[in-house]
Amino acid sequence: MTELIRVKIADLAVSKNDGVIITVGLGSCVGIALYDSAFKVAGLAHILLSDSSMFKNQSNPAKFADTAIPLLVEQMVKLGARPNRLQAKIAGGSQLFILEGGSMAVGEKNINMVRDVLRSLRIPIVGEDLGGNVGRTMKLFVPDGKVLISTTGAGEKFL
Amino acid sequence: MTDLSISEDFKLDVLKEMGNIGIGNAANALSQMMNFEKVDIYIPEVMICPLGEIPDIMGGAENTVIGVYIKAPGDVPFYTVFLLSQSSADSLIQSLTGEAYPSLGEMGQSVLREVGNIITASYLNALSFMTDLMFLPTPPAVAVDMAGAILGSILAEANICEDNVLVLKTALSTAAGAIEASFLIIPDEDSLDTIVNLLISGASQ
Repeated sequence: MTELIRVKIADLAVSKNDGVIITVGLGSCVGIALYDSAFKVAGLAHILLSDSSMFKNQSNPAKFADTAIPLLVEQMVKLGARPNRLQAKIAGGSQLFILEGGSMAVGEKNINMVRDVLRSLRIPIVGEDLGGNVGRTMKLFVPDGKVLISTTGAGEKFL
Repeated sequence: MTDLSISEDFKLDVLKEMGNIGIGNAANALSQMMNFEKVDIYIPEVMICPLGEIPDIMGGAENTVIGVYIKAPGDVPFYTVFLLSQSSADSLIQSLTGEAYPSLGEMGQSVLREVGNIITASYLNALSFMTDLMFLPTPPAVAVDMAGAILGSILAEANICEDNVLVLKTALSTAAGAIEASFLIIPDEDSLDTIVNLLISGASQ
């Protein structure tokens, strides 16, 4: 049995060599999978909001894009990953509810912030499945860094 | 569950009572729509739930559910979502219309939006009556997707920076079959305190 690590909303996890890291039900949230292929170090974060500086309660850095990604990198480095070898695959940021007279742009805000943070950390995005109006589940396979995206109704695909 | 001090327990009791009144009103309204068919309701469970565990309320984050989402800006902003399973949605549509419209079709969605509207409005009316606060609910939006995706999107829209969320869970049963539903209320922490204070001071006068 391969080890299955679950990442909840506003949560993150890292692993090395073996196993699968999974996060279920990304709506406007964004899942960020980072991978160092040389040392097989993998990390996955499920962020809810984009910018921690907008809030007074920052007790959980894994909740915000701007604080979760650096924390994820830090934990991966502890497992032997090199920041300059990391590659990112990102998914989510959709809009499930279409509201009259106003749109829910939270997903888009999250995507933009994730892109900005990855750019500032010089981590290239090598795969993405973003936007639309579907929820997604993201599985990161630690041995090879492949990411499987599944949706309700729309099937599965690899990034 | 988080550790709650006595005042937190008291706060929960006040909110639970509000839930009873609101859900009671909603059951009445539903019963009227169903030609006065009997609608039984269960006493709502009120809990303060950690963010990461909210999707489990609906049987797991990957479980497909139907969510009717209503935003209620006003004196104290609220976000509410009425969640039900596919089979509950089917029995609800069947009891209200007498026909088995698919829950994903236009008619089915319209029925579900209306039920979400009634439940939310009943709750907010009761709250407004007792606190003199004004709530201005927006038209409901429906989505059918993974429980985690629906709840995550609403939490994000509510800009929820709290680590715990107030959840009111209830169940209805009608002649057409049991309807299990959850009604979630997501205020920010300041709104919750404002409301509890108004309720308590109002009650003691």
